Amino acid sequence: MTDLILQALFSGVLIGGVYALVALGLALSFGAMRIINLAHGELVLLAAYCAYLVETRTGLDPYAAIPLALLVVAGVSAVLFLMIDRIRQDRELNSLILTYAVGIILTNAILLAFASDVRSTASPTLQDAVTLGSVYAMTGEIIAFGLSLVLMVALWWWLKRSWYGRAVRAVSSNRAAATLMGISPGRTELVAFLVAGALASFAGVALYTMSVIQPALGHALTVKAFVITVLAGVGSIPGVFLGALLLGVTEALTVTLASSALQDLAGMVLFLVVLFLLPNGLFGARARRG
Amino acid sequence: MLETRRLRAGYGHITVLWDLSLRFRAGALTAIVGPNGAGKTTLLRALTGLVPHAGEILFQGERLVSRTSDLAGAGLVMVPEGRMVFRDMSVEENLHLGAYPKRCRGDLGASLDRVYGLFPRLRERRRQAAGSLSGGEAQMLAMGRGLMSAPRVLLIDEPSLGLAPVIVKEVFEIIARLKQEGTTIVLIEQNTRVALGVADDVHLMRGGRVLLSEPAARVDLDRLHDLYFAREAQGA
Repeated sequence: MTDLILQALFSGVLIGGVYALVALGLALSFGAMRIINLAHGELVLLAAYCAYLVETRTGLDPYAAIPLALLVVAGVSAVLFLMIDRIRQDRELNSLILTYAVGIILTNAILLAFASDVRSTASPTLQDAVTLGSVYAMTGEIIAFGLSLVLMVALWWWLKRSWYGRAVRAVSSNRAAATLMGISPGRTELVAFLVAGALASFAGVALYTMSVIQPALGHALTVKAFVITVLAGVGSIPGVFLGALLLGVTEALTVTLASSALQDLAGMVLFLVVLFLLPNGLFGARARRG
Repeated sequence: MLETRRLRAGYGHITVLWDLSLRFRAGALTAIVGPNGAGKTTLLRALTGLVPHAGEILFQGERLVSRTSDLAGAGLVMVPEGRMVFRDMSVEENLHLGAYPKRCRGDLGASLDRVYGLFPRLRERRRQAAGSLSGGEAQMLAMGRGLMSAPRVLLIDEPSLGLAPVIVKEVFEIIARLKQEGTTIVLIEQNTRVALGVADDVHLMRGGRVLLSEPAARVDLDRLHDLYFAREAQGA
């Protein structure tokens, strides 16, 4: 029993890395644009199906699909951005309807193109078991987790040190002041949106190498990302990472101790409990607005 | 340096500025004083493109048509009312953002040294989050951030707002020093006395119009206050 729980904790942490990438993308576009992109999970799923396509058509490793995934997701993100940019009134509210609709269209496009079957990698290397003491993992899970860590550090560095990253933070913090400093808010929003898309691309490919995908997953991923973002409070990469691990572990424990049918419910219950007990999220004592 | 011709601006159907024709001399400090609602802040917001305007704004002899985000690069920088610092970023990160225009990035180190020289307090607090600064320190940060791009014209909106008198004195000493270093400054201030202390030229605004334009040395404070408070000038 202890072994089973340890195993669940370990698997939960590994999937949590990918959840963190998905959530950081959502948080980034929210920070810069003040809109919640309800199609973000579908962007991740689009990348996952790119990996499936490359693996089944060419026989290459799914990670070889990263350039294709980046291209496809960047294209769809750019179109989505142009549509959001055309909203003239009540952008925060109207963008919810717009992105929700785009999500439905993408889900059904994926369903049409790939059928409703569950897909996962066939690569023997990625599915190789690695044993660490009493717990084990697939090589694919370890690689995906490592990739998530690297990307989180890269994102932190970009936001902290690069001029575009600083501009994204400035626009998130105080839009009018950022404009007076010579930062173009429109261009900064586009950059943030595309970086969020790049994170979604990596997350999607990683997800395919370690888990199973099916066309309805996009919406579930958006919800998970939203839950994590609210748990962590927007604007802290370590906070999002911990929130994602917590969600991953909660789900894995539910599957081990109860039933896999309750997996998504467990995340929601966690969300409600945390919001009820800690209305500012796990790490947010502050309720501020630039 | 900076000039407006029949400038008209407002919000929606409400016109706030009525055909303002003003001239701001290069290297001089021009103070715009006036009571609440006179249109002082709207004037700065029109100059920086934050509110739409009719009429002309001339900057260095050319008509200004740039978007707000291009102005800092062109050398026109505003230190906004209420400081508007990036609260969750450190003091130094705020200053870095002041040097965002491409032409300023190469001199980042030198600009930082200059600003820290003017405001030693900011150097002490450089790792601290800007949101945790006191009002006076936040005002200094907002001014320092504006100076990071070595502006030709600096627009400063109500720097004394909400500050203790001793801090106001400190802030205005630095404004006087910036003038001596040759920066053209447009200063908006409700506190007439401190504004006159540093100004070369003074414009008094009320109800969206300019009632008085004079060199600061010639201003009669009693008359200025009569106009300011819309009192009938006594014995005139």
